[in-house]
Amino acid sequence: MIRLERLVVRAGDFTLGPLALDLPTGGYGLVIGPTGSGKTTLLEAIAGHSPAADGRIWLDGREVTREPPERRGIGFVYQHYHLFPHRSVEQNIAYGLPRNGQGAEVRVRELAELLGIAPLLERRIQGLSGGEMQRVALARALAPRPRVLLLDEPLSAADPAARQRLRRELRALHDREGITTLQVTHNFEEALQLGDRVAVLADGRIAQDGPPEEVFRYPNSPFVARFIGAGTVLAGTVRRVEEAGTAGRHSGPFAGIFTSGPVRLQVIAEREGPTHAVLRPEHLVLSRDVPSGTARNHLSATVSAVETTGPVVHVQLDAGVPLHATITHTSAEALGLARGHDVVVTVKATAIHLF
Amino acid sequence: MSHARLWSRVGAAMLGAALVLFIVGPLAKLLLMATPGDLGAALADREVREALVLTVLTATTATLLGAVLGLPLAYALARARFPGRRLLQSVLELPVVIPHPVAGIALLLFLGRATPLGGALGRLGLEVVSHAPGIVAAMLFVSVPILVSGAQQAFAAVDPKLERVARTLGDTPWRAFRRVTLPLAGRGVLAAGILAWARSVSEFGAIVILTYHPKVASVLIYDRFTTFGLPAAVPVAVVLLLVAITVLTLTRLLQPAGQT
Repeated sequence: MIRLERLVVRAGDFTLGPLALDLPTGGYGLVIGPTGSGKTTLLEAIAGHSPAADGRIWLDGREVTREPPERRGIGFVYQHYHLFPHRSVEQNIAYGLPRNGQGAEVRVRELAELLGIAPLLERRIQGLSGGEMQRVALARALAPRPRVLLLDEPLSAADPAARQRLRRELRALHDREGITTLQVTHNFEEALQLGDRVAVLADGRIAQDGPPEEVFRYPNSPFVARFIGAGTVLAGTVRRVEEAGTAGRHSGPFAGIFTSGPVRLQVIAEREGPTHAVLRPEHLVLSRDVPSGTARNHLSATVSAVETTGPVVHVQLDAGVPLHATITHTSAEALGLARGHDVVVTVKATAIHLF
Repeated sequence: MSHARLWSRVGAAMLGAALVLFIVGPLAKLLLMATPGDLGAALADREVREALVLTVLTATTATLLGAVLGLPLAYALARARFPGRRLLQSVLELPVVIPHPVAGIALLLFLGRATPLGGALGRLGLEVVSHAPGIVAAMLFVSVPILVSGAQQAFAAVDPKLERVARTLGDTPWRAFRRVTLPLAGRGVLAAGILAWARSVSEFGAIVILTYHPKVASVLIYDRFTTFGLPAAVPVAVVLLLVAITVLTLTRLLQPAGQT
């Protein structure tokens, strides 16, 4: 269990917090945020490398705010692994185990087998691949059976193909060892795939936290929406539409009109006044003419750029406000999209998230 | 390659060659001046042997003393950011820019028998001026900046995150230093120590003011030169030159490959 209570950490001019975080025993938490948002400072504060200026840190029911790192029971894996270059793979893994202990050799072997690095035990650190180094670093951190595992961008140094595999392995390892894990990353995809909980860090404060799916679907601020790549964020206002039969009902969601510059959208809202709307790129449907159907919002737009990246086609549009849509290759070909074409953008009222 | 670039390279090579010749030429000439017979005779000379032994002992004492006093400071300078750090660094560089006779005079004024510190040391049986401790003091003064700055660089080259990993794996700060930092910085620290030792051996200006007698090797060479002339000074000078070349070779061997 990791619990942070009003934690404040000062590092030079930068202040982290005050922030609160609660990760249950055996949980897998992700902290995401851009460079400079304080992710590494947060991990180093939990590990005891940076002193807490205020607030409290609890690990497994024990307050450790003033404890030195060696008495916190933490496993730490840095982004660039930081293996000890003057020791072999085996000596790296055994570093935190009591010397001459009978159990040490058994534990090293067990972890090496688990992580598939048993053939490397005699090797020097120099010449290991990135993936191998990561496994050695993980084995070294796990060997003394820490109460908490802290991972600082452990996948950022791996190439895209390996990253996918390592991600699965990390999750499997976590589930097997049942160790409370907190990982920082700047990649929201990682959070969606790995975490039970995610906290988005901005300028040293937690902008939003919750289950990753929920944060992804319902970002609560333009910063979070943009950072996690939720789509186009429009600032505007919501006005209630009084329909027959709904007049006088003033609680719960209602049908409204969201206005942002020249754009008017029918939305399902919970409150009136200034608000933000998120238009997710995969929820925008493009067509040549106004389609018939239940979708009720139609916007005229001009294609400003078409970009093919991997499995989808990204279309940048100008509808008075800039919009971003992702469509399949098949649709892109059927529409014959090119820069300067006029299209109709359709989006369901229920697919527009307001905050 | 264009003509201009070719000529600029030829020019640089010729200037460099002139400089290398300027360094190697006199030293080679000195080495060739002394026959093996002369060297043997010099080493058979009791005064020469005593001077060499005294030089080695005092330089070693000064280096060890410098290590005890300077290594914790070098580590702090490499790791910590604290107010006055730059000022402290400048103070440690002072002995390098002070003319060595000036350093000798300053030490004499500070450690002389009539001074409170010199008097106190004298009562403890540690006579400084005109005794071996005076040599050590002069050597320490001029060589410790080399030791501290070299060790500081060696410590700074060890990523502090390695120490942090060691801490999370259960090490106290001292244990992490002993198991991670020291092994990784060890060669650099040793190289700095050898350079400081060599600097002590080659010191003359400060020593000659604090302690003319007993004579270290450099003072003996000067003494022979002024009393008996050049031929008497050469064999002793050659012995000291050979010591210097050996030390330089050792430090080069200690440096990791690819680093100069």
